Amino acid sequence: MATTMKERAPAVYIVDDDDAVRSSLRLLLKSVGLNATAQGSAQEFLSSYDPQQPGCLVLDVRMPGMSGLELQQQLNLRGAVIPVIFITGHGDVPMAVEAMQHGAFDFLQKPFRDQDLIERIQKALERDRTSRAQLRERSLIRERRESLTPREREVLDLVTSGKPNKVMAADLGVSQRTVEIHRARVMEKMGASSLAQLVRMVLDLQSEGG
Amino acid sequence: MPTGAETNRILQAILDAAVDGVVLIGHTGLIEAFNRAAQSLFGFSAEEVVGKNVRVLMTEGDAAAHDEHMARYLRTGTAHIIGRGRQVIARRKDGRDFPVFLSVGVVPGAQPPRFLGFLHDLTAERQADERNQRLQERLTHVSRLATLGEIAAGIAHEVNQPLAAITNYAQACVRLLVAPDADIEEIREALREIAGQAVRAGDIVHRLRGIARAPDPQRRPLSINSLLMELNELLQGQARRAEVSCTVDLGSDLPLVLVDGSQIQQVVLNLVRNALEALAGPYRTPKQILISTYLDGDHDVALEVCDSAEGISAGTVERLFEPFFTTKEAGTGLGLAMSRTIIESHGGRLDYRPHAPQGSCFTLRLPTL
Repeated sequence: MATTMKERAPAVYIVDDDDAVRSSLRLLLKSVGLNATAQGSAQEFLSSYDPQQPGCLVLDVRMPGMSGLELQQQLNLRGAVIPVIFITGHGDVPMAVEAMQHGAFDFLQKPFRDQDLIERIQKALERDRTSRAQLRERSLIRERRESLTPREREVLDLVTSGKPNKVMAADLGVSQRTVEIHRARVMEKMGASSLAQLVRMVLDLQSEGG
Repeated sequence: MPTGAETNRILQAILDAAVDGVVLIGHTGLIEAFNRAAQSLFGFSAEEVVGKNVRVLMTEGDAAAHDEHMARYLRTGTAHIIGRGRQVIARRKDGRDFPVFLSVGVVPGAQPPRFLGFLHDLTAERQADERNQRLQERLTHVSRLATLGEIAAGIAHEVNQPLAAITNYAQACVRLLVAPDADIEEIREALREIAGQAVRAGDIVHRLRGIARAPDPQRRPLSINSLLMELNELLQGQARRAEVSCTVDLGSDLPLVLVDGSQIQQVVLNLVRNALEALAGPYRTPKQILISTYLDGDHDVALEVCDSAEGISAGTVERLFEPFFTTKEAGTGLGLAMSRTIIESHGGRLDYRPHAPQGSCFTLRLPTL
């Protein structure tokens, strides 16, 4: 499953209520070989949004119905990782600031230079790739951790909290040799080549609340 | 019974106690009595003017006409001013002119006739009027500027849309042309779009010039629907940014109205801005503005701006059109007062009524041609 996600070509979504702005953006992105999809409202985008599809979102701040900011909040609530580049009109700086505070990737003021937009889109796609890879990595680690036996899980927790083998053996009421065997199994199952790497994996899951 | 001398003293006392100037003249126009108030009004002492023609108290134009009015009255009994009174300009001893309200009476039974003139100084009233008028003019100007500032911000946003599209299309064309197998039809289509968007931007700028032009005292027969449609893109833009749906419902076959178009547009902008501000609260749905035009009775064309906001509280309704009365933190309290002044100066009316099931309606009615 992880490999199929990796192979999907990234998509650039454009959401803007102004027909001319929307179709001109799509043509511009097409002219640099980007795969762009344009939609006229936030609702339209949400109803067809596929969270598995890598890409980025170019979003107009002000729209009738659901505004760009509200769409961003909806995506945040759904835990979407898609980076959002906001396009703002004249005098929308306070809105842009708010968007950035809610985790927007970047914003651009209309009208803008094509190079500026394209660079930001490329950076956003790069960020999306990185964060999706990170997510895959995490879910892989979580899967591996799930595959540990209860005893191995105990050993994992003790090892990563810094306990030496001798102390662990006493804590668990087993021989030091048994601890060493469990520990080797944990390293193997988790795919860690060093204690340092194993600790990083566990910390990474903890930081995510997992 | 008082003696003749006593009567004269009483009469003199009455005359001198009067606040207004009193002048008694004979049938040839010679001044016979000149009370104390008249002396202080004109700067003449009684001795200086008694026995002189009353024309010394008048401007050249009035003086020439005065002899004629007197002669005609003596000949035909037709009064020009007697019994009515009117506003005239009087002249002081030092040559300065001042406005007075003059009423004239005839001394009953006197033959030949004698006339009594009462002169009420209007200088203070006139100054107050002028101050008021200057204030009104200033308010009109201030209100116009405030609206213009907002219009400018709106226009900037509206113009930005086609400019952004033009920029994108042009940059796309440059890139598409570089490709060896460039799709000419696609590029041609983009160029057409560029032209179309440039026209759109031009239209918006054109409309701004229409709104910002100097006040034109020349009123012209105009269609209320055309005036409204000139504003439509601007209004829709403002509504869209405020996430309000704005519907326009035009009455058909409306007669023309004789108006200063930009003033009427200013009023409409004002009403819509008020509606948008009323709808600005956070979770109120649906946010709607309905603008409609229709024929009201046989003589009026009406334009109505209704919103779906909370409406106006009873206490506020009474003071709604009062200048400087406002419920808004940053309001000047001039918008509705100025709007009503403008509509009334066109012989029309601007009224408020609650909107069902909730909200406010402001209706302006203008007399048809």
